[in-house]
Amino acid sequence: MIKEIIFYTFSSVLICSSLAVILFRNPVYSAVSLILSFITSGFLWLLLQAEFLAIVLILVYVGAVMVLFLFVIMMLNINNERDKSSFNSLAPFALFIGLIIAAELITLIWINSSQFNINSLSIQEPDQVSNTLALGKELFTNYILSFEIAGFILLLAIIISISLTLRTRKNVKTQIASEQISVDPSTRIKLVDLKERE
Amino acid sequence: MLTLQSYLSLAAIIFSIGIIGIVINRKNIIIVMMCTELLLISVNFNFIAFSYFNQDIAGQIFVFFILTVAAAEAAIGLAILVALYRNKKSIDVHELRTLRN
Repeated sequence: MIKEIIFYTFSSVLICSSLAVILFRNPVYSAVSLILSFITSGFLWLLLQAEFLAIVLILVYVGAVMVLFLFVIMMLNINNERDKSSFNSLAPFALFIGLIIAAELITLIWINSSQFNINSLSIQEPDQVSNTLALGKELFTNYILSFEIAGFILLLAIIISISLTLRTRKNVKTQIASEQISVDPSTRIKLVDLKERE
Repeated sequence: MLTLQSYLSLAAIIFSIGIIGIVINRKNIIIVMMCTELLLISVNFNFIAFSYFNQDIAGQIFVFFILTVAAAEAAIGLAILVALYRNKKSIDVHELRTLRN
């Protein structure tokens, strides 16, 4: 019973905050309500015994990605008011598309529910090992190659985002390391024999 | 009674909210990227719900990788946005027609 109460409370908060993400006119408010929807979905993941991923969702998304979003929103100084005319003209079309997709997905889910093939007997038993331990065991044995590739993708993200946003300013004196290294000493120093004064 | 269907329906609702947001706010790239995050969250919901109801940890592994790739995608997208704003002084989608003709 308590699970149902938690589920319906947090899912209604999640739906309202996702609606707030797309309906607010100010991007900062949208980002903050997106943070709220991440936190509520983290709680819902806790209900599904995915503790590690719930904590990772809150730490990584709220702590890193959304802070990045807020930084970019505040750094770019966009005019905060969105275009009202296009907002209103597109709203019925968007609502039409969204309702069609939602109706299709939900009817498919409820019609084909017999084919999901759930072994529902083993659900109620919580795992003996902790979720993090089980995830780590699986991740570092069967999925080790994918894990390495994920690390490489993060490295690529670092390199790409730095190289995209790095800017070399004009009129500022800086070192040019490559030229410094490739200097030939024979062109820089000239040894002159000075005759001894008599 | 919480069944798999209720979680999947919640994920479907979040997914369609994300798609509505992309269509409504298509002029503002930042909001479009936030709606992409909503779509990814709904897909992760599906993975975790199936993982719980089948008692199979592989779904959570997939969610782990999706979170990784989504973080990288957000970082690169925001970097592209910053570079774009530096060159164009705006991030309006309608200004981006340099490649036309």
